[in-house]
Amino acid sequence: MPASASSNNRPPDLLCRLNSGDEDTKLKALREVKNQIIGNKTKKLSYIKLGAVPTVVDILGTASDSDTCLLIQSAAVIGSFSCGVDVGVKAVLDSGAFPHLFRILSNSDDKVVDAAARSLRMIFQSKLAPKYYFLEEEKLEFLLSLLNSENENVTGLGASIISHSCETSAEQMVLSEAGVLERLITLLEGSLNLRDVSLESLAAIIKNNSEIISKFVNLDSGRALSLIKELVKDRYPRTRLLACMVLIAIGQSSPCHLRDIGIRTKLILTLVELLEESDRVGDEAPFALARLISDKEDLHKLALEVDVLIKLCKFLSKVPIHAKRLEGILVALSELCSKLENCRSQFLTLQVLHLVTDALKHDLAEVRTAACICIRSVTRSVKNLSAGHYFNEMTVIPLVQLLHDPCTSVQVAALGAISNIVVDFKIRKSTFIQCGGVKHLVQLSKSMDAVLRLNAVLALRNLMFLLDKNGKECILLELTISTLASLICDPEPSIQEQALALVRNLVDGCVDSIEHVFSEDGLIINSVGRQVSTASKPEVCVQGMYVLSNVAAGNELHKEAVMHHLLQPEASEYTQSVIIKFLQGSDSQLRTASVWGVVNLTYPGSPGASDRYARLRDAGIISQIKSMVNDPCLDAKFRVRTVLEQCMTFPSSSA
Amino acid sequence: MGTSKRVITREEWEKRLNEVNIRKEDMNKLVMNYLVTEGYVEAAERFKMESGTEPLVDLASITERMAVKKALHSGDIEDAIEKVNDLNPEILDTNPQLFFLLQQQKLIELIRNGKTEEALEFAQEELAPRGEENQSFLEELEKTVALLAFENAADCPVGGLLDISQRLKTANEVNAAILTSQNHEKDPKLPSLLKMLVWAQSQLDEKALYPHIKDLSTGVLEDHSASKK
Repeated sequence: MPASASSNNRPPDLLCRLNSGDEDTKLKALREVKNQIIGNKTKKLSYIKLGAVPTVVDILGTASDSDTCLLIQSAAVIGSFSCGVDVGVKAVLDSGAFPHLFRILSNSDDKVVDAAARSLRMIFQSKLAPKYYFLEEEKLEFLLSLLNSENENVTGLGASIISHSCETSAEQMVLSEAGVLERLITLLEGSLNLRDVSLESLAAIIKNNSEIISKFVNLDSGRALSLIKELVKDRYPRTRLLACMVLIAIGQSSPCHLRDIGIRTKLILTLVELLEESDRVGDEAPFALARLISDKEDLHKLALEVDVLIKLCKFLSKVPIHAKRLEGILVALSELCSKLENCRSQFLTLQVLHLVTDALKHDLAEVRTAACICIRSVTRSVKNLSAGHYFNEMTVIPLVQLLHDPCTSVQVAALGAISNIVVDFKIRKSTFIQCGGVKHLVQLSKSMDAVLRLNAVLALRNLMFLLDKNGKECILLELTISTLASLICDPEPSIQEQALALVRNLVDGCVDSIEHVFSEDGLIINSVGRQVSTASKPEVCVQGMYVLSNVAAGNELHKEAVMHHLLQPEASEYTQSVIIKFLQGSDSQLRTASVWGVVNLTYPGSPGASDRYARLRDAGIISQIKSMVNDPCLDAKFRVRTVLEQCMTFPSSSA
Repeated sequence: MGTSKRVITREEWEKRLNEVNIRKEDMNKLVMNYLVTEGYVEAAERFKMESGTEPLVDLASITERMAVKKALHSGDIEDAIEKVNDLNPEILDTNPQLFFLLQQQKLIELIRNGKTEEALEFAQEELAPRGEENQSFLEELEKTVALLAFENAADCPVGGLLDISQRLKTANEVNAAILTSQNHEKDPKLPSLLKMLVWAQSQLDEKALYPHIKDLSTGVLEDHSASKK
């Protein structure tokens, strides 16, 4: 072993000296620890593991106000433990460092104040830091005193506290009324070091608050807003990003202030350009871009015009790519492909799908989720799906594998992508069934997690859509009649709806399929009938009515079963049947579905039609339908006319 | 090309130059900015007394910054790191690139001084974990450790790392980071102004003939060599 200078500076030795009674030894040990851990994550972790944090906090807590050296060094060590490692922040908070650091903010020595403010700022940069409740008057006053301080580190601390703790609109209002917006604008024009943190606080105060935004944009007759717009062109990348984020926050709540095409284009281009940055800025930029264009078709168009898609795909193919950045780019791409067909087709022609497929197998769950969402967005395109050559087993197999991912959000996202892919084309449906996809979907449809259950049933519903007879039987064999019946009666209305829609697709088309709902003593049809008459959500009733309508297109027995379910009074105190209630209701889809049922029940070609017509008439249903000839819903109106035309053919119709 | 350039005479040019009003205080600020950024403390102090120009940073912090620079120039990396941490612990804690550069320099100094075992131990314990965090660090680390493989390290393919220029590079990066943390631009403004002057002259050359500043150290206007076509 070489006689290295650090041999007696090993963590356990130093920890021992931190506990020494001799002030000088203690101080030297503190400095040594500080110099060892700054910038060095491994060292931080090993000291934290040894329990050094409480010892240092204790030194800070017991040092008198005049022990400036001890105060400075211990505060600096605590700050470094809180920098970049969450376990460090946790250890610092658990040891009760917070009140000590706040206390020495009022020390008479500037260097002590600097050290305390820096350390507190480090802590407030972490999500683990406790919220600072400045709605309490005393705390607000203290916060304002920080923000108005002459000391730059203290001012920066005030701004950090705001960006960490300002969440509710009440908190935003309190700060806005206290003149914080004005103060932050002043800071933006001052010291370079305070600009970024001021922008962050500003974003926190205006976020989702149109009232404060309109105050902000009118501040100083618009000077504040133009200052932010200037900062979008700043030379420091982080400042550009943060300025963009403030404008995005403004645009999201008050789009009227961001109408100008010039600034919108500038924002899009700046964010894409920031992807060139190798650090955190480049990682965060695509997320900001996604937020900017989220749900805004006009911005998707604009982005497409300035080649954003091409640029994003170019960054996607750069290796090695940092996981966070990869996730961000995938999120931005999903957003961009979520609405416009030409975005999706450009994406597909850029030949990067294999990169997205690779990302399905990434180590990080967030990346896998983002890749699934991206595929879901791109597969919204019916045109590209039917072209068929883009999506094959290369995409389908990894997606199926993700169905048993350990992370629920990945499973849900994979289900979303699968739901789109299996929609309507023979080749992919069979690929999916062949690689065991049905089994996984059925398993997930029995999950305890309602979101998983919902998405699994939705995927099964889409797979069932226009599926051939063999495929349908394959699904039912795996799913079983009893599971399907229990899904129809699931506690979650949204799952009931999807399960009924699944049955609707099952009984669509061939008469043989209808038999399934009558098997096992009519378990399914009875569950459907029960839901139709008892469910409170119209969406559930709509799907239930369509099931009954489809069944009513079957043979005489099928039609009679539907009659039975439709004509029974919904509850003992009402004599009115459930279908009358739907026909008179305000939900146009429900009216349409109900009229469809009557169309199928009175179809003249079937032997019992005339008899059923008479029973429907006696129950007051025909006269109800007659009153609907001018229904405001076109769909309902046309079907009403079909019923009336069919009725003309029955001998008793004129009665 | 048929377009002839416009000719501007010396009288005309000087008249125009005289019309541009530059405040003396602004000139002084430029000078102060240069002295502070480059770290000429004593000159800055004298200039402050003579011209009344206030420097934007505490002059004591320049002394501290220069002490860091000096330590780096002499290869005492540990001392430099401690001094930077005393100035502002955030600088190295939030700048992994810079921290790595300093650690790398420390390794280079150990190798230079023939402390092979210590160098290996340091590389393994301190630098290897950084390499795991960042691919480019790992490559740099491999390059540096390669110095140990050669009999005469200075002549090996990565021998450049032992150059004094590597120390200067490290020192410049650290200096820039300290300046940024003190709200100061990392480069003095004066050289970029001169670059702009040269650029503007060359742009103007395409359109006109006029008296040039060729020697930047004297700033004397020289007549264009009349080359009429």
